[in-house]
Amino acid sequence: MEYVNPLTGFRVDGRRPNEMRQLKGEVGVVSRADGSALFEMGNTRVIAAVYGPREVQNRSQQVNSKEALVRCEYRMAEFSTGDRRRKPKGDRRSTEISLVIRQTMEASILTHLMPHSQIDIFVQVLQADGGTRSACINAATLALADAGIPMRDIVTSCSAGYLCSSPLLDLNYIEDSAGGPDVTVGILAKMDKVTLLQMDAKLPMDTFETVMELAIEGCKAIATYIREILLENTKQLEYRRG
Amino acid sequence: MVGLSEGEKHFIRGGIAQDLRADGRTKLQFRPVTVETGVIPQANGSARVRLGATEVIASVKAELGKPTVLHPDKGKVSIYVDCSPTAAPIFEGRGSEDLSAELSVALQRCLLGGKSGAGAAIDLSSLIVLEGKACWDLYIDGLVVSSDGNLLDALAAAIKVALSDTGIPKVNVSLNAETDGEPEVDVSDEEFLQFDTSSVPVIVTLTKVGKHYIVDATSEEESQMSSAVSVSVNRRGQICGLTKRGGAGLDPTVIFDMISVAKHVSQRFISLLDSEIAAAEAVMDE
Repeated sequence: MEYVNPLTGFRVDGRRPNEMRQLKGEVGVVSRADGSALFEMGNTRVIAAVYGPREVQNRSQQVNSKEALVRCEYRMAEFSTGDRRRKPKGDRRSTEISLVIRQTMEASILTHLMPHSQIDIFVQVLQADGGTRSACINAATLALADAGIPMRDIVTSCSAGYLCSSPLLDLNYIEDSAGGPDVTVGILAKMDKVTLLQMDAKLPMDTFETVMELAIEGCKAIATYIREILLENTKQLEYRRG
Repeated sequence: MVGLSEGEKHFIRGGIAQDLRADGRTKLQFRPVTVETGVIPQANGSARVRLGATEVIASVKAELGKPTVLHPDKGKVSIYVDCSPTAAPIFEGRGSEDLSAELSVALQRCLLGGKSGAGAAIDLSSLIVLEGKACWDLYIDGLVVSSDGNLLDALAAAIKVALSDTGIPKVNVSLNAETDGEPEVDVSDEEFLQFDTSSVPVIVTLTKVGKHYIVDATSEEESQMSSAVSVSVNRRGQICGLTKRGGAGLDPTVIFDMISVAKHVSQRFISLLDSEIAAAEAVMDE
């Protein structure tokens, strides 16, 4: 199958190779949570909710009482995928993604400022169309910022792939399941540090470099967008306070 | 789940007794309802319903399947509810299973009727494509995104709206000898059939706090309840299902009283939902 049209250079959904899907972020979608956000990348749509910092619920999970305990759960809605099938809760894929999100967010949260406390991050996928990992991390960043949890930097994530001998930014489901490599990168935007890097399939070294650079460019674009949302949200809050 | 002091508990109970609740509502008043349709483009029909701080999403997916041997002239409908941990941390992991199962069963009871499919709110025979060979299986999924009490009413409302948003693809069936009597099904991408949702009921839950009962309780108010009766009523004022929750016993006369109040309240709620559906569809058409 042609994933990039050889004549026009457009992808299956009409994007250019280095074009991202439309982003949409919204803060404060779950009114009962301490912080929450909705994040959309094209048709991928996720909700993140943050509860905490609060008292540690299960002491046996606490490793170091001088630092906050960060927990994360990733869940997919029954209707999120195209074909509907019942999946058991806590399957391997969900557990792995929960772990990845937790580790990525932990890298930016200033856990030493909140000893003896726990922070819960819950991400719920409403619609899956490739790049749920990235969308969840971006949503979690927004939700953590909304909850007012101190962070070193904004963490953003984006994926990139390599199909039909051209690097592609932000793969959708069709491109993701094409069997080519899928590089998911998460960065601390201001400090310019990589906190998450995953790839499947094989890729020559020099191509990998261009693909990863493309993904980092994507992360930076998302970081700019997230900063805009947070700024707008803060302005709104300031306005409401009078 | 809800931590309340003695003073707060007293305030909530006292407010209900004086017909002025903590958020300024009277006993039989709903919170503001917002309705949005088409929130899940991958589904055949979907809706998001907000009741105050409670938010639920319902999606309807239709798949071609085979009718059961016992009921060759009827399609199949299944309802499944999941409580997302975003709504409350106690729903994490397997923590939501009990509540999810309770809500699913209550909704099935109210919307699907008995095992034979008689008395179902959805006309199951309208789902048949070819008798005994092919039918539509409807999968109705509810997701609780944010929880502030009265989940059952919100879910039933969301399912009602999602069903009115649902379009079932038109199907052409051709029988030929080559395929051994197996029907060849051609699903249309363009033409859709709308459902008749006028008989789909809504659920009104009356929560008993002290000597009084209220509709649309928040989670603070639910924490003070002694028992709750959920009545599902359709447009013609017929009772389609009934569920009682909570430990305390109820006097039969009180139950009859509650049912008649629920019937009265439900008619207001149905017309409110109808106007919200019309408004949501108008937004979609723009």
